[in-house]
Amino acid sequence: MTDSSAPSTSPGDKTATLTATLAEEAGHGDGAAGLLGSDATPAVTLQGVAVSFGDHVAVRNTTLSLATNRVTALVGPSGCGKTSILRAVNRLHDHTGGTVSGTIRLGELDVYAPGTSPELVRSKVGMVFQRPNPFPTMSIFDNVVAGLRFNGVRSKALLAEAGEAALRHAALWDIVKDRLRDPAVRLSGGQQQRLCIARALAVEPEVLLMDEPCSALDPVATGKIEALITELAQHVTVVLVTHNMFQAARVSDDTAVFLLGEDRVGELVEVGPTGEVFGSPRDERTRAYVTGHIG
Amino acid sequence: MSDLPFDVPVTAGAGAGVRVGAGTLAGLTRRDAVRAAACAHLDRRRRLGRLATVMCVGALALSLLPLVALVVYVVSRGLPALSGGFLVHTPTPEGIPGNGIGNAVVGTLIIVALAMAMAVPVGLAAALFVVERPGRLSGALRLAADVLTGTPSIAIGVFAYLTFVLAFGYSGLAGSFALAVLMLPIMLRADEEAMSTVPDELWEAGLALGSPRARVVRSVVLRSALPGIVTGNLLAMARAIGETAPLIFTIFGSQFFVFRPTAPMAALPLTIYTNATEPYADAQRTAWGTALVLMVLVVLLSVAARAVAAYLHRKAR
Amino acid sequence: MTYRPDAAVSTLRTPEASSWEPVAGIASILERRRSRPRGRLYAAVRWGGAAVFAGVFLLLLVTLFHQAWAALAHMGLSILWRGWNPAKAQFGAGVFIVGTLLTTVVALVIAVPVGLGTATFLAGLAPRWVAAPCTVLVEFLAAIPSIVVGLWGLIVLTPLFARHVEPFLKEVPLLGALFHGQPLGASILLASVVLAIMVLPTIVALSRVAMSGVAMADREAGLALAATRWQVARKVVIPGARRGIRAAVTLAMGRAFGEAIAVAMVIGNNTALPHSLLSPGATLGSAIVNSFSEANPGSLEKSGVVALVIVLLAISVLVNAGGQLLLRVREEGPPPRGPVDGAVEAIAGTVGPAS
Repeated sequence: MTDSSAPSTSPGDKTATLTATLAEEAGHGDGAAGLLGSDATPAVTLQGVAVSFGDHVAVRNTTLSLATNRVTALVGPSGCGKTSILRAVNRLHDHTGGTVSGTIRLGELDVYAPGTSPELVRSKVGMVFQRPNPFPTMSIFDNVVAGLRFNGVRSKALLAEAGEAALRHAALWDIVKDRLRDPAVRLSGGQQQRLCIARALAVEPEVLLMDEPCSALDPVATGKIEALITELAQHVTVVLVTHNMFQAARVSDDTAVFLLGEDRVGELVEVGPTGEVFGSPRDERTRAYVTGHIG
Repeated sequence: MSDLPFDVPVTAGAGAGVRVGAGTLAGLTRRDAVRAAACAHLDRRRRLGRLATVMCVGALALSLLPLVALVVYVVSRGLPALSGGFLVHTPTPEGIPGNGIGNAVVGTLIIVALAMAMAVPVGLAAALFVVERPGRLSGALRLAADVLTGTPSIAIGVFAYLTFVLAFGYSGLAGSFALAVLMLPIMLRADEEAMSTVPDELWEAGLALGSPRARVVRSVVLRSALPGIVTGNLLAMARAIGETAPLIFTIFGSQFFVFRPTAPMAALPLTIYTNATEPYADAQRTAWGTALVLMVLVVLLSVAARAVAAYLHRKAR
Repeated sequence: MTYRPDAAVSTLRTPEASSWEPVAGIASILERRRSRPRGRLYAAVRWGGAAVFAGVFLLLLVTLFHQAWAALAHMGLSILWRGWNPAKAQFGAGVFIVGTLLTTVVALVIAVPVGLGTATFLAGLAPRWVAAPCTVLVEFLAAIPSIVVGLWGLIVLTPLFARHVEPFLKEVPLLGALFHGQPLGASILLASVVLAIMVLPTIVALSRVAMSGVAMADREAGLALAATRWQVARKVVIPGARRGIRAAVTLAMGRAFGEAIAVAMVIGNNTALPHSLLSPGATLGSAIVNSFSEANPGSLEKSGVVALVIVLLAISVLVNAGGQLLLRVREEGPPPRGPVDGAVEAIAGTVGPAS
């Protein structure tokens, strides 16, 4: 969790330097517009969303708006419900047995309305997972266009074009263009993750959910993907779950902090532009978290 | 060929990136083309998915149908046969009351017990060999086990005839030998699998304490692999009890209670076989009754095998 | 009452004594233990087990070949295509091989789609409260002894087929050509159906295990791309389970080859070449069952039957060993979850009637 480029001596110094570094990093992001003050309608709104597994509540009462074409980071120690919230957005809990209460809206679409099919939601929301998971039995090209094929696109021309565009967006085209038929598993970890990003992008989603996409990667690959994320935000709304505060500071425009409440249930503590959340947090607990005192 | 509901002139997008929202005046962007395709196909995909699910449910029904029909039939035809002493009497000629399969029950128990006595220790010892000394010999043993597993039981029955029966005559022992040969590779495989899931650390910890190998095996590895070994061996036994082919050329059958394994004996599967092909009503009823008994026996044993394994597994934790 | 430590212990307690001095008495016990040749008995047991196993295996091969030799020498390679006519000293397995292949192929044509469909349902499309009990039920079918299935086939299915199923099949537009001739009940078709029933649990069990082994991550990746569960099953799970499915089908094929008793009860036992699926026929297994006891010991005919055993052995062993190898080499699949699962899986590869 610590950034090795921040030299410090005493704990007090350390805290101050940490906060300063975070604030400075965050300043690079486009945090000026503020969350709810942005001119576009939010891409995703959550109201009173709670996720529970059986009797155990993982995260409660989350109300949050995610602005369009910005990167929102969900940060916090593990077990606080960030991933649960993320997976609630594309209805993956249908599959894992979690119960989601509250309302989630994708623009106009009510994600959990009885008449809404999960496939419809998932065609508008893409997801990149913690460990790269290209389909092991498919080639690189087949992987990229897998989502398109699932969604019914069969025109070879459109597939080829969309595939190439997605690979370019993921900064992978030059590396793989001569071996599109090779098995996807031959790529390195970082390349596989970029392939997964390309695969998610090919379906032209409105929102891209990223669940700690760099946690299984080495620092070089991580750097490349972070650069990618910033660029992707111009085209899609990105929601990034991350452990790493510094990553959040580098990459995101807005940050939402999740912490464990008293009863071991995760909850949203503070949300705002990244610069503010790290530089001048409003909530005491947020301050404690970003200064490294908890988590 | 495009399967979109309308004609979409796709703008050349190579390297240009996705255009947000605004399209060209002439047509739609790739983004719109993809999104439109996704929407258009959604209903069709969901319907196809539902249809496929229905067909798979149908497949499940087809799989369970013979099971249900068979069990219902065996129970309905076999239950009436189980009246009064069926399990303790010896067979009587057609038409004469007091028919029973007692000798077949006893015969099966003796034959299977002997077979287990032969197969279990050999299987265990050979599995220990394979697990502890990996090498060409173990590989050859594994291959032999694979080959032996694939051997049809009729071949094993003929083999037992050619060795035991030609030398010593028809006997329960010959049948036991045939069943033991049948069970051996299965037990070897199960034992080997159970032992190889024991982590190396356990082996090494025991050996590092300077303990002789046997003690390590006994106190550490076997205890850990015991649930798997017991399940495997009991399941092999459950399978062997129901086998007919190893018995038809070896035990010959008998009308009486026989307790000496070196003499011809009766056994449940053989009784079914000989009675099934006879057209008489009594014989048919006996066949169904025996089938019911055999089926119950096999099922109970399989269930017991898994229950014992679960219990041992829990105890080991 | 004061505690008076005995001499040995007080040696330890004395500060001047080295704290590493072993307790008196233990050293000699350990020394004795180490020098005892305990290991030798254990090694002997291990070698013994391996030797017995190998010995039995070799004895099997030698005995069968030895007995079949007379007939094999007499017929040569023509055993593979000549007919069976003991009166004319013809011990060819040709007709039986045809019957074996025919029944197996038809059995697989029935069992593989049904089995894969069931496995797909149980491994992914079914809600959990349905999948678990149904899995147990299908495995239960595997435990039913083949003699019971044969009995049921003989007494229940034969008249059913003769009166209803076979006449119906003759009327089917295109396929009806396969089913010409008298509907007698006992036929290649009935034997194939009985084989399919017996082989089904193997296919379902092994395919299901293979499909469940496909990583959750891959399935979620598919779902996240807006695939329906069926699309995930078809494009992700089944391809990912290819190896296990291949093993399942191979083992099912081997099982079908080796089944003798149940087939003998329902196939009609005709040594002429079958001309339709409705004709009675014979397989290698059924022929052995029927002819073995009739042949006089020591006669050429007996040797001929054992030669049939050799042919059957050759075919089934090749197929089965291949399937077992496919099961063993589990490169992508997950290892068994624990000792019990490993044993159960090993048994699943072998369980099922094969008499």
